[in-house]
Amino acid sequence: MSSDFGADGGSLFGGGGFIPTQSTGLNENAFSPGGATKKASYQSLIPVTVKQLSSAILEPSDEKFYIDGQESHNITLVGMVFGKKENFTDVSFMLDDFTGKIEVKKWIDGQDSEELVELRNIRNGIYVRIYGQLRSFQGKKNVVALSVRPIKQFDEVTFHFLEAIYVHAYNLKSQGVTVGSKSSASTRVMFSAHPALPVTPNPSANMRSNISSQYMAPASVPVGCNSMNECQNRVQALFDEPANLVMEQGLHVDEVARRTAGFTKQQVKEAIDHLANEGFIYATIDEDHYNKSTYNSF
Amino acid sequence: MDVITSNPALLANAEKFRPYVGRRVRTVVKVNRFEGGNLHCQAPDGPHIVVRQVPRNEEFTQFVEVIGVVEGDTALRAEICTNFGDRFDLEQFSKLCDMANGSYRDIFMLRRRGQDFLASNK
Repeated sequence: MSSDFGADGGSLFGGGGFIPTQSTGLNENAFSPGGATKKASYQSLIPVTVKQLSSAILEPSDEKFYIDGQESHNITLVGMVFGKKENFTDVSFMLDDFTGKIEVKKWIDGQDSEELVELRNIRNGIYVRIYGQLRSFQGKKNVVALSVRPIKQFDEVTFHFLEAIYVHAYNLKSQGVTVGSKSSASTRVMFSAHPALPVTPNPSANMRSNISSQYMAPASVPVGCNSMNECQNRVQALFDEPANLVMEQGLHVDEVARRTAGFTKQQVKEAIDHLANEGFIYATIDEDHYNKSTYNSF
Repeated sequence: MDVITSNPALLANAEKFRPYVGRRVRTVVKVNRFEGGNLHCQAPDGPHIVVRQVPRNEEFTQFVEVIGVVEGDTALRAEICTNFGDRFDLEQFSKLCDMANGSYRDIFMLRRRGQDFLASNK
């Protein structure tokens, strides 16, 4: 179930450690040989700030956290340790990266384990690098750490924040949101969720449909728009799969939408319309079924 | 609050000291000398600044991270000082400060609805 850190680890993480999941709709991954059609479930590792964790949304339907619209699997943080407590089964502390503080817990195997010895080196006031997962317990967010390591070279602190900025901008760009537009009130509302606001049902879908209603209106969006291209590429790749060409009536639009995670049905429908206009696919038995055009001289 | 974001320290260059007077900031400085309880040092973007209320019994490495409150254009009152060693890329850190206060400040600080949490950039 969990991703193969062994066999695929080299190719997945060889480039730098941050891999977008399929749910973001990115089919271009320089480090993955399989491309968009790979069935393996990617588990991403994203560098974040505590402020981003405070804005992460817990989707009630699948009980998963979403950061910048991307499902959060593993996260990495850099910050200072405060309030360290050594309990019988775990070590816990507050991690303060000065954008915010969050509780971090590291479960330990036993009192004699090596990792407990290493954890004893973690003292209050030192900088550490955490790899872990964002969790919620009784409505409160915390991080369950898989690894806690003291930082020795402090360029790592600068690096972590630069990487967090890069990944944040990358994720927003893939959703068609421009970073840094001060007048973009919509961005502010969607991505800087105030902690006091109640979690709306299906918030990530809302975010995407908000985006689609504001950015994806066909009249206002140029054809070269990044996110629409990604959607079209994904849909076209689906139609390219030999398994999907077996049935004469082709694929139903709902089926295409279901298999194109990361885009709303509206976006998928628009992508299908565009591809049909260009001649890559054609409607079969009715407007809801499409198949790939056989003679492709484009 | 489970995740506490109420008292952040904003990444800052010396040029941000004026708009951030009274706010808590964090920066990394290159130490010139320690004199009379004050640290005379160089800010990431170059200007000479003075850090007050520095713990006396500390032995400082060449680079020190200072988290504290801005008191003036070139003055900080320290709360936490952390040795960052003798090898540190101050120029990269300066660029990080620019970005963290510019287009990407969303991931560093909370925006209050209707207004920016920080003073307007002049």
